Amino acid sequence: MTRSARRFAGVTALVTVAALLAAPARSDPRTPHLRPAENTDEGGIWSLSDKTEQQAKLSAERNRDPALNAYVQGLTCKLAAEYCDEIRVYVMDRPFFNASMAPNGYTEVWSGLLLRAETEDELAFVLGHEIGHFAENHSIEAQRAMKTRANNALALQVLVSAVAMGAAVGSGSPQSASDIMRAAGSVNDLIYLSAIAGYFSYSRENESEADTLGFRRMVKAGYDPAAGAEMWRSQIDETAASTFPKVREAQARASIFSTHPLSVERVGALQTLAKGSPAGKTGDRKAYRAVIRPHLAAWLRDDLRRRDYGETLALIHRLESLEEDQGVLAFYRAEAYRQRRGEGDLIRAREAYTASVAFVDAPSAAWRNLGDLAAQAGDKAAARSAYETYLVRAPQAQDRWLVEASLKKLAEGTAT
Amino acid sequence: MACLFLAACTTTNTRLADSAKSAGKPPAGAKVLIVQPDIELSLLTVSGVPEARADWSKSARDNVRAELKAAANAKSLSLRELDPSAVEEPKVAQLLRLNEAVGGSIQGFDYGLYKLPTKKGFDWTLGEGARALGQTYDADYALFTFSRGAFSSGGRKAAMVGMALLGVSLPAAQQTAFVSLVDLKTGRVVWYNFAVAGSDCDMRTPEGAKTFAAALLKDAPL
Repeated sequence: MTRSARRFAGVTALVTVAALLAAPARSDPRTPHLRPAENTDEGGIWSLSDKTEQQAKLSAERNRDPALNAYVQGLTCKLAAEYCDEIRVYVMDRPFFNASMAPNGYTEVWSGLLLRAETEDELAFVLGHEIGHFAENHSIEAQRAMKTRANNALALQVLVSAVAMGAAVGSGSPQSASDIMRAAGSVNDLIYLSAIAGYFSYSRENESEADTLGFRRMVKAGYDPAAGAEMWRSQIDETAASTFPKVREAQARASIFSTHPLSVERVGALQTLAKGSPAGKTGDRKAYRAVIRPHLAAWLRDDLRRRDYGETLALIHRLESLEEDQGVLAFYRAEAYRQRRGEGDLIRAREAYTASVAFVDAPSAAWRNLGDLAAQAGDKAAARSAYETYLVRAPQAQDRWLVEASLKKLAEGTAT
Repeated sequence: MACLFLAACTTTNTRLADSAKSAGKPPAGAKVLIVQPDIELSLLTVSGVPEARADWSKSARDNVRAELKAAANAKSLSLRELDPSAVEEPKVAQLLRLNEAVGGSIQGFDYGLYKLPTKKGFDWTLGEGARALGQTYDADYALFTFSRGAFSSGGRKAAMVGMALLGVSLPAAQQTAFVSLVDLKTGRVVWYNFAVAGSDCDMRTPEGAKTFAAALLKDAPL
């Protein structure tokens, strides 16, 4: 690169960065019961949201338990009475930590989030966070900000291309002309990249704002001020336990927090907020568990489908600390080990199945799998007893014939 | 540049038409379910960020639907209508989405987006599950329309010209659509067509929708 080209690139880069960092103006919190006109950008987003809502409503992944849906809807109303009849909650059986609220009020709360919240207070914080985005119209702000940034970027690209062409024409030699055009090309890349970066930094502002708003709503409704930071910390711990190095390093999940890492900064901000408000009573873990209990087994099975056994095991460990649902939790801990098949995992799985069957809520399948593992280990007596208990507990099981065949083999002494 | 502004509606004859002639043509008096066109239009802003426009989508939907009904009425078919936003049954909603996926694949494989070196013909079908649609709405055939597109804003057009002079080409806005006719007894896609809208067929106006629907329904066995 010639000297003139380098100077050209330097000066334009500075102008560029300054222009792109000018943030767009904020809008006011929304007034309840207003629908935007159809010929506006906002009206466009609403109409697409209506369509997505219709698909969600009929989705096979929708959890149709009326009690559970009413519980989450009721919690939303408790946090935002003014928007109560505008927000429509759909619980979706998807094993990821996620919730979203579209500008038209269509709201999805995923089972992976309900499974990970430990108290109503924690769930209230996340819902409050989403209501914050909703009340502040963040989705429309984000679209407008992106448009403004894209416009600025285009205007600068035009300017850079035009200036470069002028400089190249007047440069006198073909070599320096091509250098200048090449420099202009890399400045255009820089403009594009800072537009993208601006978009993400703006989102982060929105996220922090939603954290604060969620916190306020939650505390106002009488929930534990410490719940927000608690929820975050559990997520950071679980991410650190992930099987996948990429997940551990990124410290981010496919979640409401996904645009950026689970930052220590935000946990710190929430802790500061919590310190500033009078300590509330700690959330009732037992009461919350009673709400999700009917779905606990199904959601844990779904969670295993992610094949991130490190995270699932960390989650189960956390859930087990309440000392309830021990049969179900030990069973899924065993399932995680059995499916992971790492060094020593089959021994751990057998131990966990054995632990599970000691509790009244153990699923029947625990005995069958215990029988399988005992037979594999050559422990025929244990295998026989486990299989027999399985058949007594689940006489109508579809795989009855299979278990009977295994028992026959054991009796003949040909089991391997 | 000139050809951009002069282009008319372009349509390509479907590869499914031949077999349709013998097997799939709805007989006179057949009951045809017209599924409300799934149309989403947006404004392509100066920098290329699209902005959904509910009012345009709505008028295009109404215009195209009226044209489809007129075309089917002219052939003495017995019509039924389906409004996807009023669907209550998950099964029906899934069939609508399946049709969108199958239609997208037909567009990809039969209209040159992807080319497979050896596989030539496909037997496109929604499967026998399509019967559920026929039973629910008492119909023998279903006519689906799917369209996505954008219109350039004034600023975008100016930017395209300006950047073209500086040697940079910016993509223009366009609207595309596909129509498919499905036999609800077998689920087979008996006829399909794909079209790109030109400047003379702006679906947002009744006249443009008429031109566009005529292009889309070219050679339709209706």
